[in-house]
Amino acid sequence: MSLHGVRTIAVLELRQRLRTSRWPIVIGIWFLIIGAVAGLTWWAVNNQPGDRGTTLYDVVVFFVLGLGMLVVPSLTATSINGDREHGVLATMQTTLLTSADIVVGKLVAAWVISLAFLLAASPFLVWAWIAGGVEVGRMLLAVAVLVFVLAVVCALGLMFSTLTARTISSAVLTYLTVAALTFGTVIAFLLSIPIMSTQANVRVKLVPETWYQQHQPANPDEKTILEPTPADCVYVNRDQTILHTERTWWLLALNPFVVVADAAPSRKPMTYLGFEPLQMISDGARTARMGTTPDSLNECWPELAVAPLAQQPNPGEGDGPQPQREQQLQRERLNSVPAVWPYGFVFLGVIGVASTWVAVRRLRTPIRRLPRGTRIA
Amino acid sequence: MDAVAGIEVTGVRRAFGSVLAVDHIDLRARPGEVTALVGPNGSGKTTLLLMLATLLAPDAGSIRIDGIDPVAAPREIRATMGWMPDGFGTWDALTVREVLETVAAAYRMAPGPARTRTAELLELVHLGDLADRPARVLSRGQKQRLGLARALVHHPSILLLDEPASGLDPRSRIELRDILRRLAASGATLLVSSHILTELQEIADRAVIVARGRSVAVQDLSSDSGSGHGSGHVVSQWRITSLDPPRLMAALAHHGVATQPLTDAVDVEVSGDIAASELLAQLVGDGIPITAFAPSYGALETAYLAATEDRQ
Repeated sequence: MSLHGVRTIAVLELRQRLRTSRWPIVIGIWFLIIGAVAGLTWWAVNNQPGDRGTTLYDVVVFFVLGLGMLVVPSLTATSINGDREHGVLATMQTTLLTSADIVVGKLVAAWVISLAFLLAASPFLVWAWIAGGVEVGRMLLAVAVLVFVLAVVCALGLMFSTLTARTISSAVLTYLTVAALTFGTVIAFLLSIPIMSTQANVRVKLVPETWYQQHQPANPDEKTILEPTPADCVYVNRDQTILHTERTWWLLALNPFVVVADAAPSRKPMTYLGFEPLQMISDGARTARMGTTPDSLNECWPELAVAPLAQQPNPGEGDGPQPQREQQLQRERLNSVPAVWPYGFVFLGVIGVASTWVAVRRLRTPIRRLPRGTRIA
Repeated sequence: MDAVAGIEVTGVRRAFGSVLAVDHIDLRARPGEVTALVGPNGSGKTTLLLMLATLLAPDAGSIRIDGIDPVAAPREIRATMGWMPDGFGTWDALTVREVLETVAAAYRMAPGPARTRTAELLELVHLGDLADRPARVLSRGQKQRLGLARALVHHPSILLLDEPASGLDPRSRIELRDILRRLAASGATLLVSSHILTELQEIADRAVIVARGRSVAVQDLSSDSGSGHGSGHVVSQWRITSLDPPRLMAALAHHGVATQPLTDAVDVEVSGDIAASELLAQLVGDGIPITAFAPSYGALETAYLAATEDRQ
């Protein structure tokens, strides 16, 4: 492989793409869709308290990844068998270009085009940044991981285009693989939950039912209502199902959405409602990794509340102190769970390198074994 | 290994699954010569060329190109070999000039020399007027000429041409013939496959006839023994037409010339051009009314028909 060879192929590919296909229109539509999503999000969260920028950031990155996974396979999935069909592959193979030059050159060209899509979406990320709440470093990390994931999808498509003779087959296989990564991993994880769960007798700390029966009569007098204190909690042994998601959480880590989401979520305290897909995905994956911990067997909520309940400004109003406390605690617990995304990052990296390697091998000439249905020239 | 210049194919065999495309082909193409590869459709010509073009490995037998094994060292061969496949495509969106410049880059030429070479080749194949048009608007014959130019980009000393004349107009054919002869004269080894026998007869020095994946005959086509190749004594065939066939036959018998009567003419075998011109002078001197006296291009045709009689 040489820089010169890779550049020759990449320039050839880009030139052809720019002239034949309607990429400007596709990118224009892409820009409008992301713009519409960002605009709707902004409109929805405009009156919400807190950082509107974080919601905007989450939604934009989520959609860029989702749409990117739909668009990017089409850049490479018919690249090599398409060239073969047009009779332009063999004449390149008889030049001094190596099979690695051809594969890597095509990969670079496809990746550059996927960068153009990212670039078209970047104004909305800038908007989110201006709106506030997201650090620049986090945003750049998200974009870097996004770029990486798209490159892996490019490599997958390229591999399939060397494996099948017909372009339609390689396109279908690429989309199926992308679907397996995004939906398959989640389905596999969900199926693994009942398989992995066990019945166990556990010791739980809680406010007993009897306390409520004694201290909170059916028709309470507002003035005399009593709240339980940590001292009222007791330990109870009970049989319950224990989920062992800590054994299968890695299934989620393979998911490209989890990789991007967990690498750079907006990470704000879970204090109000909103649609933050990245954060939800990241929290979900980390919750799974955490599994059932001793902490989660503590249901003594008066103890979990850090501040004394009497000092709450408006006890009994809105969400109430109980859910808020638990949410904050859950956030602290999740933040202490090690990141999930490095596993998926390495996994996707291995997939990308392996796909490229397979593609290079498949283009090696002279061919000894010719697969059924493939032509050379 | 003794480095024999040119192409040397011995006992090559190649199957695709259960289909035996090339069974047993022996072939020798020498530098400075045009070797024709003729045979019916599906006789294994293209498969053989793919093997020579370093794209396909043979199942058995050996190939040596300038003494190098294309399976072991394909890159060394690619540097000196031009291949023009049958029915190839071009990058539709590129202009004719860009196609050639891209190929030059693929052969690791610097941009400057690549531009110079491209201009030269466009001149050679008469595509200068179309240089900045997209390659997709070219007609079949023009594409074919572009294909030839592409095969010549890196000054190859070995040229493999699969059906180079198909789709060419008469003028382009004559030009193709001249280009190929010039290349051969400059010492290149040319292997040309074609169906058009009369044309090959004009271009080629010898023909290898393949049928059903086997090389069945080698026919020497050089009509002029004086040009240096061949063994010096080359028997060539001439076709004579006369207004008075019986007198012609009698005269030929008198001069002791081997004849092969046809319906409206007679083919004779003479050794070389000088002998042919002497025979013509004698016949005219005998007062035979000769209307045509020309090299017979039936030789290849005859050999071809004989070799491929048993086709399915």
